[in-house]
Amino acid sequence: MAQEEKKAATDGADKAAKPAAKKKGKDVSRREFNWLALGWTFFAAATAAGLGAMGRFMFPNVLTEPPSSFKAGLPSDFAIGVVDTRFKEAYQVWIVRNEEGIYALSTICTHLGCTPNWLSAESKFKCPCHGSGFYMSGINFEGPAPRPLERHRIVLAEDGQVLVDKSRIYKQEAGQWSDPESFLTLA
Amino acid sequence: MEKVWSAISGAWDATTESQVWKSVFRHGAVTSNRNRVLVMMSNVFLHLHPVKSRKAGIKLRYTWCMGGITFFLFLVLTFTGLLLMFYYRPTVQYAYSDIIDLGEHVPLGVMRELHRWGAHAMVITVWLHMFRVFMTGSYKPPREFNWGIGVILLVLTLLLSFTGYLLPWDQLAIWAITVGSNMARATPLLGTEGPLTAALKLGEINLVNSGNDARFALLGARSVGENTLLRFYVLHCVGLPLAAAVLMAVHFWRVRKDGGISGPM
Amino acid sequence: MEFFKNAVNWASGPTVLFTLSTVGLLLSFKYTQIWSKKVAYIFFAVFALVYFTSMLDPNFYLIVAKPDNVPITFVLFLVAFFTWYAMYQGVENDKRIEAGEDVLEKQEQEKVWVWPDLVYTELLCMVILGVGLMVWSILLPAPLEQPANPADSPNPSKAPWYFLGLQEMLVYYDPWLAGVVFPTLIIVGLMAIPYIDTNPKGNGYFTFKERKAEIAIFLYGFLVLWVLLVISGTFLRGPNWNFFGPYEYWDQHRIEPLLNVHVSDFFWVRGLGRPLPSNPIVREFLGIILVLFYVGVLPVLMARPREKLPKFLQWISLNKYFQKMGPARYYLGVILFLAMLSLPIKMYLRWAFNLKYVVAFPEIFFNI
Repeated sequence: MAQEEKKAATDGADKAAKPAAKKKGKDVSRREFNWLALGWTFFAAATAAGLGAMGRFMFPNVLTEPPSSFKAGLPSDFAIGVVDTRFKEAYQVWIVRNEEGIYALSTICTHLGCTPNWLSAESKFKCPCHGSGFYMSGINFEGPAPRPLERHRIVLAEDGQVLVDKSRIYKQEAGQWSDPESFLTLA
Repeated sequence: MEKVWSAISGAWDATTESQVWKSVFRHGAVTSNRNRVLVMMSNVFLHLHPVKSRKAGIKLRYTWCMGGITFFLFLVLTFTGLLLMFYYRPTVQYAYSDIIDLGEHVPLGVMRELHRWGAHAMVITVWLHMFRVFMTGSYKPPREFNWGIGVILLVLTLLLSFTGYLLPWDQLAIWAITVGSNMARATPLLGTEGPLTAALKLGEINLVNSGNDARFALLGARSVGENTLLRFYVLHCVGLPLAAAVLMAVHFWRVRKDGGISGPM
Repeated sequence: MEFFKNAVNWASGPTVLFTLSTVGLLLSFKYTQIWSKKVAYIFFAVFALVYFTSMLDPNFYLIVAKPDNVPITFVLFLVAFFTWYAMYQGVENDKRIEAGEDVLEKQEQEKVWVWPDLVYTELLCMVILGVGLMVWSILLPAPLEQPANPADSPNPSKAPWYFLGLQEMLVYYDPWLAGVVFPTLIIVGLMAIPYIDTNPKGNGYFTFKERKAEIAIFLYGFLVLWVLLVISGTFLRGPNWNFFGPYEYWDQHRIEPLLNVHVSDFFWVRGLGRPLPSNPIVREFLGIILVLFYVGVLPVLMARPREKLPKFLQWISLNKYFQKMGPARYYLGVILFLAMLSLPIKMYLRWAFNLKYVVAFPEIFFNI
């Protein structure tokens, strides 16, 4: 507040420094101008604060979301070269086993968030909304998707099961797929 | 026969000359020029109109009545929407079954049809109204401002229809809204996947993330769910119709103030 | 019959359909006599006949008779009718202006009582529309699909029909452009029309000749870049967002390999035969130059007088408008116009070269 008053005061000082302008009947006098500036400054500040508070109201402090991590079974449950779609419905995750290990792909298309389908005959993920296609690795190769599918954190839990944590995401274009927890290496 | 007729007309005269009738209608039958003026001046609904208008301007050939039809559809949608609100509950658990019940457990089960087809029709008539106004050059001075109001009303119509699309909570609804709201994620600076957003960083922390970006404000969550349904319901039933009603008032007012229906100078 | 169906299927392919509509519209501006009653009768009769007999074809019927697609049939016929009606009246008025007569709207200037002349017309419109809506609602139940399931996107998943123009744009541009920037430009551009257009003629009556440029641009944007995209998005976009002719079966498994190529691929890999540079700015320099040229240099070039441009570029000169409108209006108008044209340009580049991005910075979601 003090700052605003100071601003109004300097505004006034600026005016005073100038040679006295010819006063016409309609002109706002310096004194009136100070009060006007002060009033409008307060009004603008109050409006901005009100709008800000209203905007903040749309973002609740607490969100109830389903738990983001789950156990998907033993590594031996997954066959090499197969995309496991069992967790798609409940957790929006595909679990893929290749020669080297296992990774968890998000089922959310990077274009506009539809859920692609795994077409095993054509060996690709194909999004029904706008035709984006992804290789089994999650890399995009056709259609409008701008980047590969995201991977989730995947590690072995203490009981030897595969643990997928959806709260952590790894993006290929950001070089995060080299992170050891984005890919579960199996000897 | 003669007697019946005179009895009816006697009753009619008695009614229209009663104090009650005269307190409601400030004018007599609209057959005299005086009453043609009075009816426009004293009736708040007809007051949208002027008393007299240029003959060429009000021809169907010229206006296609599209603006009027659009307003009529808005009224139909307000009314049918209000009736639907008596049965519909905007929750994930009930929404879908309430929609089915609307067709089966409620007499005159076409209320939802009237609302949905009316909404589609309104989108079409708004387009055609804009088209007509453009093709007759009616946006030109002095009507520039009212054209702008009209564009906002067009956007509001589309948003009303879009928010309503989610409410049945079926596959069509959820995926249309998923795709539509994901675009908000691409807003420059305000969406997590918008250009330049990555530059908004404090050290290692991204200032804009999926929990506070433009899409979140729309959905009330990270994905389309319970909160989204409620938000869209409130916008659809209260927020957007209010905004549209206020702007419509301005729109109609300005049609009058800018010189009535347009015509050659 | 088969031959006819195949021909229509071929003509509904995106490239052919889009090109034919554009060329047809442009020709109709040159030969305005086709906006006559006679041509309209013949066109409507043939079109309606083909459209409704096509319903005998099971594939066509399946798409057209889907409840949510019924409004598109209305759009198709209503937009066609009213476009004709507006242009017909415009052409008629143009003849009158040429003959030195008053336009049709200039006659009957006398004032009439709004009650009954206007009020009754409105009442009649309301009654007819109300009855029509009732009949439509009773005959056709509103669609309701399976309950929402976040794990299963239907194939194809479509936005509401009035947004299918946007969804079509999303095929060619990234969401930040097609979903955010372009819609904003459409809204701002529409609102800016009265302030850009300084032509005092054609205010309050139908005409074409007195406002050729305005009407041509608006009709191209509205009919080809919006309504046509809505209609083709509804009727012709099938599973996996592939294009299907109106008489084609919507095969879920049809494969259309689309390998994406960027401008950087064309320049570095195919042109110079070397791998893409690792520095993103170097990698994308050609695309950046192209985009900057398009939005920054082209408008300036177009403002120059004809004779000051190299011979092969003289046709782009809009100096006439620059002189008439002044710099502020001219640049605003031209930039909006170029933004509008960027959609068909990208569409043709995609169809011809499989081009995906002119500028691609996937790292910061900045792709054009």
